[in-house]
Amino acid sequence: MRKAVSFLAVVLSTFCMAGSGVAGETIKVGFVDTYTGPATTFTNDVLDGFKMAAEKINAKGGVLGRKITWVTRDDKFKPDIGLTMAKELILKEDVDLLVGTINSATALAISDLCRKEKIPFLVTFSKSDKITGEKGHRYVFGMNENTEMVGRATAKALAKRKFVKYWIAGDDYEYGHAIANGVFDHLKTLNPKVQLLGQSWWKVGETDFTPYITQILAAKPDFVIVATGGGGMVNFQKAAQSTGFNKKVPFYQHTAIELSTLMPQGQNAPEGVYGTANYLFYYPDTKENKAFVEEFRKAYNRYPKSGALYGYMTAEFIAKSFEKAGKIDREKFIDAMEGMTLPSPVGTMEMRACDHQVTLPMFFGVTKKSTQYDFLVAGDVVSVPGKEYMPSCAEIAKARAK
Amino acid sequence: MDFAANLISTGTLSQILVGLSRTTILFIVSSGMSLILGVLRIPNVAHGSLYMIGAFAAWTVIQFLGGGLFAFLAAMIVAPLIVAAVGFVLERGFFSYLYEREHLMLLLLTFSFALILGDLVKIVWGPEYRSVTVPAFFQGSAEIFGLPLPWYNFFLLLIGPCIAVFLWLVINKTKLGKIARAAAVDGEMVGAVGINVGRIFAFTFVLGSFLAGLGGALIAPMVNISLGMDHSLIIETFLIVIIGGLGNMWGALLGSLIFGLTQSLGILVWPQFGIAFPYLAVVAVLVVRPRGILSSTW
Amino acid sequence: MRRSAAPLLLLLLLAALLALPQVLPRFHTYVAAIVLLTALLATSLNLAIGYTGLYQFGHAVFYGVGAYGTALMLTRSGMPPPVAFLVGPLAAAALSLVMGLICIRLSKLYFGMLQISLGSLVWAVVYRWYSFTGGDDGIHGIPLPDAIASPKGSYYFTLTVTAVCAFAMYRIVRSPFGKVIQGIRDNPVRAAAIGVDVRLHQLASLVIAGFFGGVAGSLFVVVESSVFPDMMFWTFSLEVLIMCLLGGMYTFFGPLVGASVIVLLRVFASVHTQYWGLILGTILTLVIIFLPDGVLGVFARRSLPKEDPGA
Repeated sequence: MRKAVSFLAVVLSTFCMAGSGVAGETIKVGFVDTYTGPATTFTNDVLDGFKMAAEKINAKGGVLGRKITWVTRDDKFKPDIGLTMAKELILKEDVDLLVGTINSATALAISDLCRKEKIPFLVTFSKSDKITGEKGHRYVFGMNENTEMVGRATAKALAKRKFVKYWIAGDDYEYGHAIANGVFDHLKTLNPKVQLLGQSWWKVGETDFTPYITQILAAKPDFVIVATGGGGMVNFQKAAQSTGFNKKVPFYQHTAIELSTLMPQGQNAPEGVYGTANYLFYYPDTKENKAFVEEFRKAYNRYPKSGALYGYMTAEFIAKSFEKAGKIDREKFIDAMEGMTLPSPVGTMEMRACDHQVTLPMFFGVTKKSTQYDFLVAGDVVSVPGKEYMPSCAEIAKARAK
Repeated sequence: MDFAANLISTGTLSQILVGLSRTTILFIVSSGMSLILGVLRIPNVAHGSLYMIGAFAAWTVIQFLGGGLFAFLAAMIVAPLIVAAVGFVLERGFFSYLYEREHLMLLLLTFSFALILGDLVKIVWGPEYRSVTVPAFFQGSAEIFGLPLPWYNFFLLLIGPCIAVFLWLVINKTKLGKIARAAAVDGEMVGAVGINVGRIFAFTFVLGSFLAGLGGALIAPMVNISLGMDHSLIIETFLIVIIGGLGNMWGALLGSLIFGLTQSLGILVWPQFGIAFPYLAVVAVLVVRPRGILSSTW
Repeated sequence: MRRSAAPLLLLLLLAALLALPQVLPRFHTYVAAIVLLTALLATSLNLAIGYTGLYQFGHAVFYGVGAYGTALMLTRSGMPPPVAFLVGPLAAAALSLVMGLICIRLSKLYFGMLQISLGSLVWAVVYRWYSFTGGDDGIHGIPLPDAIASPKGSYYFTLTVTAVCAFAMYRIVRSPFGKVIQGIRDNPVRAAAIGVDVRLHQLASLVIAGFFGGVAGSLFVVVESSVFPDMMFWTFSLEVLIMCLLGGMYTFFGPLVGASVIVLLRVFASVHTQYWGLILGTILTLVIIFLPDGVLGVFARRSLPKEDPGA
C-alpha cells in the first residue's frame, strides 16, 4: 500500500516535468487529423497540399517576414483523442491556428473548443453541414464542401433529367442520411413530380451489397441515390460492377467520380455512375489546374485528390489573410478572412463573410473508361459554380437561430 | 408496406441464395473462432485481425502473380497459409506458455495481438485502400427471375459446403481431429492418457487461423481492403458462436445461417431496417436458449 | 508503522492533487482531470471484475450511458444540472441491472462475450439514433453551470467527485457486502452452500459498478463538454480492462495506477507517434507474461502479503 501510493507520486511527478512550448517568430499552424487507419487516404493529401503551398510561401520570404510552420497530431479517428490533441496544441504548443479534421464528430467538438478559446479553426475534410451551418460561429471556417452543398448541387444537376421514381440507399450514419436527404429534399422542391419508392440502409463497413441490390432492382426505380462514404464507396461500386447494377439502373454517389474511389479499382470500376466532386485533376483543363497538378506530382509523385486542393487553398487563405491583417493577430485574421477571394486551380474561391464557408465549384459527371489513364475518369463533366448552389446567408442565419 | 407480400415474391429465392453466400463467409470465419474456443478455450479477439491479414495477403499474392484466375486461386490457398503461419507463431511463441492462466488473461493477450497486428498491417501494407478484382471467370452475374446474382456468389455457395465437409472430415475422421474433439470436452483427461496436448492445441490454433485467413481471402474481391475491416466483423462472429453454442462447430454453422438469412430476408421485408433483423434473431434465440442452440462445451 | 504511513501518504497525494492547478499549466490540469475520471472508471470496473470475479467486458457502455444521460438532460430537459448529474449514473445503473439480468445466468466467459455483444448493440443504437443522441456526430457545446465550466472548476469538481466515489467504493469493498462478493469470487459453490444468494450479490455488484462507471461518464461531460458514441465502443471497454490488469486487479488502487499510466502514455504517444496500437499491445503482452498481478499486485504481494485480501 505504501509503495503503491509512492508509485502514484512518481507517476504524477514525471508527468509534471513535461515542458511547455514557446511561441517563436513564426506562424504556427496545428493540424489535428486522422493519420491512422483508412481515412489516411484522404488526410495525407490535405497535409501534402498544405505543405506544398506553405513551402512555396516560405521560400518567397514567408508572411510578414515570418515563416509558416506546422505541427501534426494524430487523432486516430477518435473524437476524445482529437479533443485532447487540440487542447495540447492550443495550450502547450501555443499554435496560432488549428486545421483538421476528417471526422465530423471531432471537428464539431474542436469547433466548440475553439469558440471558447478564441482560436481560428479551419475545417478541411469533415462534411457535416452543422460545422458552418447550425453550429457555426466566429472562429470556425469551412474549407471544403458539406452535405448541404452536395445535396443542393446534385439536386440541381438531377432536376434537369427525366427520372421520376427514386430509391435512396446508403451507409447508416449521419453523413449517409445527410447526403441522401439533402439530394432528395432539394430535388423534390425543384421538381415536385419526383417520388420516393423506398429506402435501404446498411451498416457502415458493410461488405456484401448483393442482398440490397437485388431488393432495389425488384422495386424497379428510375434512379438510385447511393449515400456511401469512405471505404463504402469502393465496396458498393464493386458490388454494382459484379451484379451489373449500373447497367440496369443509373445511380449517383457523391465522390463516385473522384480519384480516391476510381483509382484503386483500375479498369474494373463500373461505368455510367453519376457522381460529384470538388476536384478532378484533369478538369477543368486550364493553365492553373495543370500547373497545380504538375507541381503536386513533382513533389509527391502522385495525382492530387480533393484533399490536396483543400490543403493547398487553406495555406493560401492563411497567408493572404495574415498579409491583409498586417500583423499576427487572431481577431484581425478572422476579419481579413471574411469575404476574402483568391484564385485557385479550379477558379476563384470566396470565403463568405456570413457563414465562413468557402464557395467552390462542384463538378458533376459520369464515370467512363479512359484511353489515357489505367483507371476510369469522369465524362460529360458539368461545373456547378458555388454561387448557384450554396445556401443563402439568410438560410444560414435561420439555421443558426434555431 | 405489405410485409407478407414482400416475403413471398420473385425476389425471395435470390435473396435466400444471397443470404446463403453471405453465410459462407460468416461460417468460415466463425467456425475458426469456434474451434479455438472449443479446444483452447480462448475467445480470440485477434481473429478479426487474422481475417484482415488474409485479405491483404490475398491482394499481395494476386499482385505478385499478375492477376488472372490462376493467381486468384493460388491466393485463396497461399493467403490462408500465411495467416496459418502467423497463427503458428502466436500459438507456439506465446499462448503455449500461458494455457495455465485465466481465460481473462488469454483474452487480453489476444486483444494485445489485435492491436499489434493492426499496426503491423499498416506498416507492411500502408494505409491506402487495396482492391482485388474478381477474375474474369467469375465476373458478371446470373439472372434469377430477372434479378442478378453474381457468379462469385455462386462460387461462395459452392465453397461453403466444401469447407463444412472438410471440417467434418478433419474432426471426425483424422486422429488429430478426434483427439481435439476429446480435448474440447475434457482437456485434462486427454493429457492424462498420455497424449501431447500441446500439439493438439497448436494444430487447432493453426487450423482456426487458416479459416480466418480463408474468410479474409474470399471476401477480398468483394470489398475495399482496408485497415479497420477487422473491427466490425469480430462482434458478429462473437454473436454467431454465442447463439450457436460456444465451441460447437455446427453451432457456428447454424448461427451463420441465422445471421445470413435473417439479414437478407429482413431486407426484403423492411429494407430500411434490414440490419436490425439478425440482432433481433439473436435476442430471440437467447431468450429461448440462453446457452445457444446446440450444446456448448462450456 | 506501515499501517499508519499509508493514510498519511494518501493525504499527501490528495494535497498534491489539490495544489496541482495552482502550479501546473492549463493543459496539464486538463490531462490530470482526464486521468482522474478514467481512474474512477477503471476502479468501478475493478469492483465487478477484480472483487466479484465477473467478466465485465462491456464496461465502457455504462461510462457512455452515464455521459449521454447527463449530456441529454443538460441540453434537452431544462432541469437543474444536479438532476442531470444524477440521471446519467442512474441510467447507467439501470442498464447495468437489465444487462446483468440477461447475462448473470451464464458461466464466466459466456457472460463476458454476451456482455460485450449486448454492449455493441447499445453502441449501435446510440450511433444511429440521430434525432435523440445526435448519432455518430455526438453532442457538443453542452452547457455547464459556470462554477464547473472553467478549467480549474472542472478539475476541482472532478477531483472532489472522484475522491468521494473512490472513498465510497473503498468502504463498499471493506463492508460485509464486500467480503461476501469476494467470497463468491473465490468460491461461488461454497458461498451458495452457506446460504448466500450468489446471483443477488453479483447483480448488486454489477449495478454498483455500472453506477460509478456512469459517474465517470458524467465527469467526462464536465471536462470535455462533448460526448460521442466512440466512448462506448467495445475496444475502449477492453482498454479499461487493461488499465485494471496493468495496475493490479486484486488491489484497490491498482486500476488507479493503471489508468494514470495508460492515459498519460496515450497523450504522450499521440504527440509523438502514430503507432499507439503497437505500443499498447506490446506493453500489455509484457505485463501479461511477466506481471500478471499488475504493477501494484507485485508491490502488494511483496510488502504486505497478508493484509491485502485479494492477493
